[in-house]
Amino acid sequence: MSLPVKIVMIEDDEGHARLIERNIRRSGVNNEIIPFTNGTDAVKYLFGSDGSGVNHKDQALLILLDLNLPDMTGIDILKRIKENEHLKYAPVVVLTTTDDEQEIRRCYELGCNVYITKPVNYDNFAHAIRQLGLFFSVIKVSPVQP
Amino acid sequence: MTVDAARRRTIWQIALLAAGFVVLVAISVASILLVSKTREDSSWVVHTVEVENQISTVLLEVRRAESATRGHLLTLQQQYLDEYDAAVAKVAPAINKLAAITTDNAVQIENSKRLREVVDARLATLARSIDLAKQNNIPRATALQSDANRATTNQVADVANAMRAEEDRLFQIRTATADRSQLLAAIVTTSGSALVLLLAGISIYLIRQSANAREKAEQQLRDNNANLESTVETRTADLREANEEIQRFAYIVSHDLRSPLVNIMGFTSELEELRTDIFSRIARYSRAAATELSLPVPVGESDPGEAPELQAEDKQLSQDFSEALGFIKSSIGKMDRLITAILNLTREGRRDFHPVPIETRELIETIISSVAHQASESNTQIRVEPLPNIVSDRLALEQIFSNLIDNALKYLTPGIPGDIQIKGRYKLGFAVFEVTDNGRGIDPKDHKRIFDLFRRAGIQDRQGQGIGLAHVRALVRRMGGTINVTSELHKGSTFTVTLPTQWNFGTQGKVE
Repeated sequence: MSLPVKIVMIEDDEGHARLIERNIRRSGVNNEIIPFTNGTDAVKYLFGSDGSGVNHKDQALLILLDLNLPDMTGIDILKRIKENEHLKYAPVVVLTTTDDEQEIRRCYELGCNVYITKPVNYDNFAHAIRQLGLFFSVIKVSPVQP
Repeated sequence: MTVDAARRRTIWQIALLAAGFVVLVAISVASILLVSKTREDSSWVVHTVEVENQISTVLLEVRRAESATRGHLLTLQQQYLDEYDAAVAKVAPAINKLAAITTDNAVQIENSKRLREVVDARLATLARSIDLAKQNNIPRATALQSDANRATTNQVADVANAMRAEEDRLFQIRTATADRSQLLAAIVTTSGSALVLLLAGISIYLIRQSANAREKAEQQLRDNNANLESTVETRTADLREANEEIQRFAYIVSHDLRSPLVNIMGFTSELEELRTDIFSRIARYSRAAATELSLPVPVGESDPGEAPELQAEDKQLSQDFSEALGFIKSSIGKMDRLITAILNLTREGRRDFHPVPIETRELIETIISSVAHQASESNTQIRVEPLPNIVSDRLALEQIFSNLIDNALKYLTPGIPGDIQIKGRYKLGFAVFEVTDNGRGIDPKDHKRIFDLFRRAGIQDRQGQGIGLAHVRALVRRMGGTINVTSELHKGSTFTVTLPTQWNFGTQGKVE
């Protein structure tokens, strides 16, 4: 029996994190959300102290990732997730202000599942996040294979 | 080496040449003069010799006459008489000739006169002896001869000697003069030649120095050219780097500005939601308070679906609240648009150009067909004249001309049919395009401003961010061209875009 899906939110801007969480809740998603405001803590949580990621062996994760982090770039985290044998099945949603085409292409190349640009217009923002929440509620997340 | 020094050297060379020429002419003239002088002097020397000759001739003839007379007196033969006559006949012309050739000298004139006298006297005695001989008075004649002989012969000899002495003196003087003239001529010629040689030497030296200087200058020039090229290259690289730095900076800044903006916008919207909740709660409470004080609310009158009515005071508060939020939101919207514009501009600035040969007229006609709807709405005619084709970046050209044509259409004078004209011509390796309209025009004081980012001019009755022309100017500059405007209020505007006809990778960027 697999554990319920946990949402790992890596977002350095606490305001953004709050808005994202609120809108996800509004869309009726009640899964646990674990927020991180910097890359180091997030990496520690994801890969554990030995860097293997074995802690999440049976855990279904969904990762919300911002690219502009204070201590590292989200792309590095994305790369490590997709290279890790325990975490590579976890869907990664890149949610960031960057809308540079090269950046987007690079993220998809590295295995990002969804790339969303944060709109400044709040209606659009809220809408995008709620859509994402709906997406979360229907998506089947595979637990990490033994 | 300085220009001054070079000029001084040139002047020196010219002066030297002129001096050499003058010296040559002077030597020639002096030589001619001296040669003629020498010839004259020599002729005088010869003349002296001639005079001495003539004196001898005179004396010879006189002697012949004397000896003939003596012979006649001794033999009384006719043969001596004939000889005497012949000799006497020659004496007079000889003396005449002597007189003629000695007219140059006062002393000799006098001397020849005396010679003539003494010779005449001598001849007279001879004649008398002959006469006496003819009368057979031989002893008397012989006596006369021997008497007269001493006196007159000595006189003749004295005068002749005096003349010779004079001529000798003259001869010596003249010879000396002639020698001096010849020496002078030799000196002048030699020293003149030496001077000419010296001048030539100096000239050669100067010319060699000049050639050296030129060689040096050319070397310097070559070095400078090489340096200049490398300097230009370095500067260009520096500039490009600086430009890229600015672009990166703008890009990062605009990104980082966006992040807080999302929060401001988000929580403002959240506040708006809260406002609705708060004021509906206030309305409910105030109504509950009101009903408690006065009549009880009839059952069924309260409708939970409908928002309760606010009191006038609370209504005012709610409106103020909404107004404040509205301003915040519209400002955020504006800021977002500006940031987006900067982002787009920097993205444009980072884009690499792809130069291809472009049929400019076709490109512009495509742009015009895309704005045909707007044009027909404003009853505007767009005319395109033949345009020069260039090698350039298609997308950039499209952006430049569609911005200019859009602007022309956007800022027409209301109520007047628009007339937009696009012209072009070649000029010294550049293509010059002109987009002319009959619109509202731009005040000359705004001509610089309109190309600045976020700046606009005139009546603000049209949508816009003040980005179009800034973008156009950035593109034109990146492609190595220029853009200008000539315009007057209410009289239309002409935008002139000058672009290189050929793509230059050195100044306009690399090809991939």
